[in-house]
Amino acid sequence: MLSFDPYLLLGVDRTASVEDIKTAYRRLARRLHPDANPLSPGAAAQFQDITAAYELLLDPRSRRNYDRESASTPDGPSMTMTVTLSKRAIMPLDEPQVVYLLIEIAPGKHAEKQPERRDSRLNLTLVLDHSNSMNGVRLDRVKAAAQQIIDQLDENDVLSVVGFNDRSHVIIPATTVTDKAALKARVSLMAARGGTEIFRGLEAALEQNLRYLGPRLVNHMLLLTDGNTFGDEEKCLELAQQAADKGISISAMGLGKDWNDRFLDELASRTGGASKFVASSSVVARFLNDHVRSLANVFAERVQVSVAPDPDIYLEAPFKLAPSPQPLDSTQGFMPVGSLQYNRLISVLVQLEIPPGLAEGFRTLARVAVSGDILDQRITKQQLVADVSINVTSNPEPEDPPLPIIDALARLTLYRMQERANEALERGDVVEATRRLERLATRLLEMGEPQLAEQARVEAERVVRTHQLSEMGRKTLKYQTRSLILSASTEDEIP
Amino acid sequence: MRVCPACQHHNREGMLFCEECGQSLQGAATVTLPTRKIGETPPPYGHATWGTARFDENSWIVLHVRDAPQPIVVRPDRQIILGRYDANNAIHPDVDLEAFGALDKGVSRIHASITRNDDTLVLTDLRSANGTLLNGQRLIPEQPRVLRDGDEIRLGKLVLHIYFRGRSEF
Repeated sequence: MLSFDPYLLLGVDRTASVEDIKTAYRRLARRLHPDANPLSPGAAAQFQDITAAYELLLDPRSRRNYDRESASTPDGPSMTMTVTLSKRAIMPLDEPQVVYLLIEIAPGKHAEKQPERRDSRLNLTLVLDHSNSMNGVRLDRVKAAAQQIIDQLDENDVLSVVGFNDRSHVIIPATTVTDKAALKARVSLMAARGGTEIFRGLEAALEQNLRYLGPRLVNHMLLLTDGNTFGDEEKCLELAQQAADKGISISAMGLGKDWNDRFLDELASRTGGASKFVASSSVVARFLNDHVRSLANVFAERVQVSVAPDPDIYLEAPFKLAPSPQPLDSTQGFMPVGSLQYNRLISVLVQLEIPPGLAEGFRTLARVAVSGDILDQRITKQQLVADVSINVTSNPEPEDPPLPIIDALARLTLYRMQERANEALERGDVVEATRRLERLATRLLEMGEPQLAEQARVEAERVVRTHQLSEMGRKTLKYQTRSLILSASTEDEIP
Repeated sequence: MRVCPACQHHNREGMLFCEECGQSLQGAATVTLPTRKIGETPPPYGHATWGTARFDENSWIVLHVRDAPQPIVVRPDRQIILGRYDANNAIHPDVDLEAFGALDKGVSRIHASITRNDDTLVLTDLRSANGTLLNGQRLIPEQPRVLRDGDEIRLGKLVLHIYFRGRSEF
């Protein structure tokens, strides 16, 4: 059974005739059909949705049922989506060109006021590394941070805590947070020993989280580790996928320098979670508490974004700018972007490559779809769609790109420069890597980030000398340039 | 495509920042690849109809302030600040527009700069109070735009035109 509005998906009126519906479906299918668009997971996912909508509306009985049901349910709150293009008009050129899309998702009209009482309940599983490397002050601080989190929660929330080294230990089985003192005492008993096998931890954590899994809850797993896991990354990612399919998001925090950032990034991106770098255990409490706070005041959960470019257009580098900057996993038709809070926007920036030799005139570039579960009195699955079009003309009006896109890109570019420096180094191109780091340092200085600029400069020198970056420096540059993106868009708080 | 004014990297048309060095590409010259074959009629697009953006070694900057009898001729140093002299703050812009009614026309003490990059000039608004317009388009502060021969620059309400001239031409 399709849980979205089939009329909206096909872009037809409620009174549309069968002929109208067929025409609308064919028009969309030409753009989204897997045969026309074999490389686009977004198109494939959206094709499934429009086909389901088409089949529902074509069968008179199921259409009547849908009409009756939807007429008897009042309009609840909804999400809104706005899509902004970097240009409204482009010239037809003999070379490829790029257009940026800024997708912003916000709670809609009926949700303007945030409820007094915290509406969203949390089903949180902490997955804490207590391998040998956590010994001493590190583990003490993580325990203290976990205890602070327990203080933040209340009896409406569900908490479980799983510790892991080379095996897993359920420290707090999933339970409502009533006896805080007892829960905190259990956390304090954790001791550091053994190696690091993240899969063990995640597996036990998923089991705990599933016990209270509910559509009205914010189901979340938070992994904290300071080490590399060996050989079980694939299994972890498969598990993350399972979790995502069930509506559980996973965030990952890497403590210190010895963890695999690519792996944790991917783990988070697959599920709509966030991955963060905690440089020192002295700030771990702040990171964890901020993160748990970001899981509260949720308006819609399991929000996903899908971009289906037209068959001749390529989708590049989707990136979530806010609320927590994160590269998105473009291999998924619907890319999970986490929860939508009452007072924050979700914004996503994508790049579209447009081929040479376009005909003049208005044309579509892509279809953008957003879906999510609105946590109201009843859960409403909602999907929004927008068609993005552009005017191709040999004589475009002069226009400046919209400021939010420039702002976001100015900072995203720094993050990408850091990535490109790493790529150069991986190819063994020391000269190129050095040059890129030096340029990054220059730009950072211009942006008013002298400390980070200095770090880039020091790393550039290190590359000249040792042909590699320090792990700490590399992670600092990566995650700090990433968090700069947020400073551009956190001002997006909805007034 | 867009050639980065800082590192000459060739970026795809439509990119807003240089992929290679992070330089803002706004106002960077759009260069159309010469893919046209001999004998073919020129395509109806991609041709600059305005003045050249090329500012070569021997060029000088000539600024015509509207309604002023004499143009201002400037040696193309690396950076030229446009503004108005203010005795209280002892700010000396390279091009002092006080004599052209700058104060009344809303020109800031430090209003905008013209910077030389290899063989182009770029205009940058330096967070002036009343803004800078290039050919009628408002500049985003601190975002450089490439200047072309004959462009109209508006500092507050003060209008001037910029020309690129060889030493012998003025």
